[in-house]
Amino acid sequence: MTRPLPSTVVSDLAEIVGHEHVITDPERLLVYESDGLTAYRRPPRAVVLPSSTEEISAVVELLHSNGIEVIPRGAGTGLSGGALTTPEGVIVGTARMNRILKIDVENRLAIAQPGVINARLTEATNPYGLYYAPDPSSQSTCTLGGNVAENSGGPHCLKYGVTARYVTGLTVVLAGGRIVQLGGVGRDPYSTLDLVGLFVGSEGCFGIATEIEIRLLPITEGVRTLLGIFESVESAGRAVTKIMASGLMPAAVEIVDGPTIEAVEASVFAAGYPLEAGAALVIEFDGTEAGLDLDADRAEKCCLEEGAIEVQRATDPEHRVKLWRARKKAFGAMGRIAPDLLVQDATVPRTKLPEVLAGIDDIGNRYGLKIANVFHAGDGNLHPNILFDRQNQNELELVELASKEIMQLCVDAGGTITGEHGVGVDKREYMTLVHGPAELEAMAAAKRVFDPASLFNPGKVLPDVEGEGTTKSEKILAMGE
Amino acid sequence: MRVDLTDSLSSLLPKEAFGFSVPSSLPAALRTDVETIIAPGSVEEVAMLLQWASERGVGVVPIGTGGHTYPRCPSDPFIVLTTSRLNEIQHYEPADLTMAAGAGVLIRDLATEMAIHGQWLPFDPPDVRNRTLGGLVATGLSGPLWAGYGQLRNHVLGATIVCGNGQTVRLGGKVVKNVAGFDILKPMVGSRGELAIITSATVRIFPLPVLDRLLVLEAADISELVPTARAIATAPIMPASVSLRATSNRSRLLVRLHGAQVSVDSDQKSLEKHTSVSFEVRDSPEDQSLMLEERGGGMNTEPAVRVWALPSRIDALLDVLKQVPGASLNADVYGGSVRVYLPEQISDIESSLTGLQKDIEELGGTMRALQIPAEVNASAYFTKPLADEGELASGLKRAFDPQSILWGIG
Repeated sequence: MTRPLPSTVVSDLAEIVGHEHVITDPERLLVYESDGLTAYRRPPRAVVLPSSTEEISAVVELLHSNGIEVIPRGAGTGLSGGALTTPEGVIVGTARMNRILKIDVENRLAIAQPGVINARLTEATNPYGLYYAPDPSSQSTCTLGGNVAENSGGPHCLKYGVTARYVTGLTVVLAGGRIVQLGGVGRDPYSTLDLVGLFVGSEGCFGIATEIEIRLLPITEGVRTLLGIFESVESAGRAVTKIMASGLMPAAVEIVDGPTIEAVEASVFAAGYPLEAGAALVIEFDGTEAGLDLDADRAEKCCLEEGAIEVQRATDPEHRVKLWRARKKAFGAMGRIAPDLLVQDATVPRTKLPEVLAGIDDIGNRYGLKIANVFHAGDGNLHPNILFDRQNQNELELVELASKEIMQLCVDAGGTITGEHGVGVDKREYMTLVHGPAELEAMAAAKRVFDPASLFNPGKVLPDVEGEGTTKSEKILAMGE
Repeated sequence: MRVDLTDSLSSLLPKEAFGFSVPSSLPAALRTDVETIIAPGSVEEVAMLLQWASERGVGVVPIGTGGHTYPRCPSDPFIVLTTSRLNEIQHYEPADLTMAAGAGVLIRDLATEMAIHGQWLPFDPPDVRNRTLGGLVATGLSGPLWAGYGQLRNHVLGATIVCGNGQTVRLGGKVVKNVAGFDILKPMVGSRGELAIITSATVRIFPLPVLDRLLVLEAADISELVPTARAIATAPIMPASVSLRATSNRSRLLVRLHGAQVSVDSDQKSLEKHTSVSFEVRDSPEDQSLMLEERGGGMNTEPAVRVWALPSRIDALLDVLKQVPGASLNADVYGGSVRVYLPEQISDIESSLTGLQKDIEELGGTMRALQIPAEVNASAYFTKPLADEGELASGLKRAFDPQSILWGIG
């Protein structure tokens, strides 16, 4: 049972943001009990929705001076439980901070509030011939503030890089409500340490970004999209290695495997992929129109040499959307197969893809779990999706065991436990697979510099201290009750 | 004061770590104060050395090739630590486009190895080939090519560091996407040796472009080239780099286009249409090298500063720089930064720098001394970081170098 906030704190919060922007009604709080990782649920003591940097500062000052933990939240689309509250926490949401404050065409910059939807920034800058490159799958709903917190990626990050590459300056609210400016174009980026780079990806544990200076790119002249159909995911993986080793620089290289194709083709999102296919490979090139056909020809040759059954090329924008459909709609389509889906996230060196994919298949078979793979193959960022039923206690435990084995497999292959979804609450236990005590202490030291009393999003990213023996599935069940 | 701590260290490190001569590129202020420099040969030796220094309060000045300005002269006693024996390529998988190497490996040696596989590291700060990988990472320098490839900070995937107290920490990894924990690697890139010694780094590398075309436009005065440079910077295509070079008798706009012949031809055509100018074309590396090498190649000896402003203020920036007669300029048009080489025989350098810094800061820009004669207090010519940033950076310094033994470059 969540402990209500003292009424004086509630009224003080209302004084700052307005009564209607402080949520304490238990039924309304249920909306905020989880983020995109619904396996973890816990309602907050309250939700506060400020509309400006100054309001966020005042809210944080009030909560921290009362020793109350602040849990930052964007759109709640995260997949690692990063926006899950602590038992004593108050969620500070950025939904009302949804204005693009400036578009500086000459310098190809924008300044946006954290609640701006990712795709909206591209829509707003398109008329100036510009766009925002990072494109997480949730880009039509996720916010820029959430992207900053998670250092989000997306299919086109293969060529263009992740969020950190595009965030050039920040206004942040730190512990106690202190407003701080970090970086900014026009200043020597190394006049001090790269604090912007450190803040990006800090998962709400350092503070809240309230204004984000973002680098924009010119819209590319042309695009070519190919779809390669393969008998097996291993041969599709080998084609990826061949394409990347050939000197080509695709904008995106994505794989959907056989089980995913089955799910999509059985759903309303059916894209006409052959059901007997073991994998489909979506490859996209963008840039100067004149060179694109040449690049597409070379990639097609790589696919055919690695045994592609067929390679299609988009002939118009609608055809392009169709070729992408199975990739984009995969997660939605999986709802038909099982009531619950655990979207995993790990990265391995690209050359290890075939052996790691075979290993994941083996893990699924051993545990009797269906695992469907949809992933950013070009940068080795895997998303093995484990399908299960959370009401089945036995299956939940198997999911936990299989997840851990998948993580270990990826780490043993030279990879890591998360490429773009973050650690949040979900992967804290896996942090020791990739980091030793010295690395974890270094991270903890960095957090203490920004948040000495650990009042921003505690219980995330860094693993529990030794001695907490509860298994992950026990925690999931306990929170869900 | 001449300091020799070799005797104290001889029981700690193997004999191979001693006897390295002081590189002539090291600033005179340091060169005159050290007997020898210490060259640990492994991360373990670096850790032992730093633990030893930390326990005794001995300052440590890390160097790669030693060509940078040190704004603060360390207090005695101190040692100079060179990474020159950390010089092995540790991991190179061409198909993964990643490479891990010791901090002391020279970029030119990495380039030779990568070229065999048609790959490269697309960063071009001055004299990059003679820098070390550790030096490149510690300074965070990307050069004008960052426009087309992104900054170095985004392509350092991992590093092993030894903190001021001798603690070894392995950051990041060897994969291109990694968000497993707070990104401590970012503040290490460009930390100039102030937080920790970088002993090795893993970087993302790139396929060599099929064609590397240099477009050149010359004019008597740099200001005549600025409108064309700015037009390119706002054109719908993104060249690999756009820079302006000016010496006392010649100014050039240099644009690099990378890609397949057909796309480079098309990009050139688009740029010529967009700017209404015709460029001189240089396609062969030999033809390009003299123009691309900063000031004719090699480390420069003139006093130099680097100034920054918003890219759209590059014209105003260049106007300010006109107040230094005889200065040579090298401007990164996308980045909004200019390296300013002052005449070697400049009279009253201090008042010139003071005036320049004041004007640059009034523009909203910043200035940093790159190379300043030993008798001039270089630290006076660094624009201070924003107050809050400075405080947070100091917090990180205390966390990673608690005894404050590391003396970084400017």
